[in-house]
Amino acid sequence: MSAAVSEAERRELEAFLFLEARLADTSRYAEWEALVTDDMSYWVPAGPVQPGADPAAGLSYINDNRARLATRIRQLQTGKRHAQTPVSRLARSLSNIEVLAATDGEYTLCATQVVYEVATQASARLQLWPGRVTYRLRRAEDGSLRMAAKTVELVTAGEPLPNLAFLL
Amino acid sequence: MTNYGDLVGGDRVHASLYADESVFADELDRIFTRGWVFVGHDSEVAEAGQWVTRRIGREPVIMTRDRDGSVHVLANRCSHRGTALCWEHRGRATSFQCNYHAWTFGLDGSLRAVPYPAGFEKDRVSLGLDRPAQVDSYRGFVFANLDGSAGPLAAHLGRGGVDMIDRLCDLSPTGTIHLAPNWIGHQVHSNWKMWPESDNDGYHLNWVHASMVSSAPDTYYQETVLGGETGNQSLAVDWGDGHVELDFRPSYRRELAWLGVTRERVASYCDALVAARGAEAANRSLWDGPPHGLIFPNLFLGELNLAIIEPTSASTMVHWHTAVQLDGVDEAFNRRILRQSEAAMGPAAFIVPDDAATAERMQLAVDGVQPGWASAADPRGWIDMSRGLGRERTEPDGRKAALISDETTNRGFWRQYRTVMSR
Repeated sequence: MSAAVSEAERRELEAFLFLEARLADTSRYAEWEALVTDDMSYWVPAGPVQPGADPAAGLSYINDNRARLATRIRQLQTGKRHAQTPVSRLARSLSNIEVLAATDGEYTLCATQVVYEVATQASARLQLWPGRVTYRLRRAEDGSLRMAAKTVELVTAGEPLPNLAFLL
Repeated sequence: MTNYGDLVGGDRVHASLYADESVFADELDRIFTRGWVFVGHDSEVAEAGQWVTRRIGREPVIMTRDRDGSVHVLANRCSHRGTALCWEHRGRATSFQCNYHAWTFGLDGSLRAVPYPAGFEKDRVSLGLDRPAQVDSYRGFVFANLDGSAGPLAAHLGRGGVDMIDRLCDLSPTGTIHLAPNWIGHQVHSNWKMWPESDNDGYHLNWVHASMVSSAPDTYYQETVLGGETGNQSLAVDWGDGHVELDFRPSYRRELAWLGVTRERVASYCDALVAARGAEAANRSLWDGPPHGLIFPNLFLGELNLAIIEPTSASTMVHWHTAVQLDGVDEAFNRRILRQSEAAMGPAAFIVPDDAATAERMQLAVDGVQPGWASAADPRGWIDMSRGLGRERTEPDGRKAALISDETTNRGFWRQYRTVMSR
């Protein structure tokens, strides 16, 4: 099921996702945070998710409301977050972008994402983070897009994972 | 034959113990085969047929509940051709059937059915699943000893293990706990022994966790662990038998500091605890909170988290954790614990990833250290753990204690290590 949006609007939505991806890849925390709404939720479940599952019912890798997301970014910005000092070298590939719903300036999109990470903080191993991403985007008063929710369902969720201290 | 007395001193250890594959093989034998090892909590298999998979050292096991209510720990390995019977983390079964030749085992591990039985002459009783020689539990915490030589569980737990488990379970109005629905595995390229150490190290907070301390300044670690060398009253404790604790109780300045709430916010919980245990005992629990300590060798009681330290090779391990949930409290209370756990534990939390980065840096530095260097004419590779040795004191109850930043906990772990590795 996908929603009908104009070609121009689709390009605008995709451009937003690519910008968000690039800012995350390059650890531009303040600019990334400027893209999110005041009620942003950021969820990385720790196992396969059943439709309608309540994120609060179990333990997640990340289950951030806006306040906790702010703490996460503040911690990264201290320069003393050893798990990201120096920051990981990151490159992510986004594909299979679909617009699932579009109503009243709010959009639900999904994509497939693979993040390539070299964890330069210690082991310098190449780590892969494949997953499916669901976004909820919303227009601000000035018409620009903001991200209100991002859920990353890792293919590897539920198996032991290495440090995940960058913005997924 | 490695002489472990030569590699573990009272105030230092040799770094080859974190790197050498033959040391790791000895540990699988002397610690994880001949000793008691934590397996799981019996609430994880509350109903008959529920099962979870674990490892005892590298031995894969299934913990399950039988129809008579008893908890079994069974090798997760078909006795016919050696196939794993369960390949997910948890599930439910009426029996365990191997997918290779359909041998079927009961919940107690006995062999129940073999296809084409005419070609089969052996006694089926001898072909049940391998199982630990000893399985026992204390307040729902299930431990196993593979080879049966470890003596009774009560002797292994000693006063320290019992005291810490009691303090945790006694926070519940019913005296019982269960666990969050899932465990999270954190894969670290470090030797497993760095985790009994860092989980119970009261010296590193100011540096390893500086970013957490400055970005989330309202945590109770401010008053229990930080504050300079003599700035708080918390204790680094060696209970003996390898069980160690960072005892925050002396420095809590108010009740429920460990939960980050006032009494009014959780009034129904406090009332239930008082009703169950009387005001004096309940109020003491509300001040003291849960323990922060290690039950040797692989169970970390991290306040309201449990962690299992799973060795996977000399230089890799998995730090599994879940959250404790109290029986007899409302759902909002337990969800508060889940959210606290997500902030502290696991690959993306605010605390443990910085320990993981540190452990991996330590592994990078010790990977090439050779056991033979320890006693060479020009010795190399020794690392120090002498901090606070001169000011350690023995408490009236027999515990060794020193300042929270002293390495009493590390010395307690390593003394037990030397004892069991020398047997």
